[in-house]
Amino acid sequence: MTSTSPTLGAAADQARAEVRGLIAGKGHAVDAARLVIERLERAFVASALHRTPALDQALRDLSLVLVGEDRTALGGKSPEAARLILRAVDRALDEA
Amino acid sequence: MLDRLMGGRRLTSEQKGRVPPGQYVTEKFPVLHYGSVPQTDLGAWDFRVWGEVENPFSLDWTVFQALPHTSVHTDIHCVTRWSKLDVDFAGVPIRAILDLAQPKPAARYVVAHCEKGYTTNLPLEVLADDDVLLADTYAGQPLAPEHGFPLRLFVPKRYFWKSAKWLRGLEFLAADSPGFWERYGYHNDGDPWQEERFSE
Repeated sequence: MTSTSPTLGAAADQARAEVRGLIAGKGHAVDAARLVIERLERAFVASALHRTPALDQALRDLSLVLVGEDRTALGGKSPEAARLILRAVDRALDEA
Repeated sequence: MLDRLMGGRRLTSEQKGRVPPGQYVTEKFPVLHYGSVPQTDLGAWDFRVWGEVENPFSLDWTVFQALPHTSVHTDIHCVTRWSKLDVDFAGVPIRAILDLAQPKPAARYVVAHCEKGYTTNLPLEVLADDDVLLADTYAGQPLAPEHGFPLRLFVPKRYFWKSAKWLRGLEFLAADSPGFWERYGYHNDGDPWQEERFSE
């Protein structure tokens, strides 16, 4: 389910900050992407953030990028795709 | 010098004129994709055409192989800056697919749909070019799995991400709809001679 109005409150602020921290952190983009997916799903379950069409699209695309048994089984474009999609997630967070 | 460091070769002046700005030439065929390489069962494979067409259809591998085939000798250019000259791809010319599908007058754009959810978009007028193929053969051999087996789109006048690997269908649209890379910052048009790499 999607919502058009951004979620307000401490839980929303914390979820956005934690997701942005994961995106900005050092380390492999594929690992960051897995953590971002997990954190966003927890935020949705807790109603700290709402799903939006942009976030749902980004999460669908991230799941495609991350298909593989482990990081080494992924194609060479997976890290770049993960980085670009995470930037889109960052942009979409304020509407979630 | 940079060309040779990057695995390139010394070029004739005629060849240099075929290399778009910002590209280097390689004799290798780099493998670039996201996710893992799909394992395709040709017995279960199909290819669909739908959307703004008079005759939407689906065909299996046997029927696809019975369609007319042709070959194209040309150059390819990747957005990651490698170019490969004098490649030979073969497959079904897009004209044969368009003749079967009969796009409606409203059809202006096409989205290529591939395994694993990959998509890329093209204007119909670009897709309809004479050198565009649904390619199943490279250098006289079936495509290697990592290069798109059994079928890839082949659009040599655009950066090679538009030549989508593991192609499963074409959707004809009245309005443009960005594909996977185009959604996240790659240029919508991807013309190597204009260096249309990124939109942001």
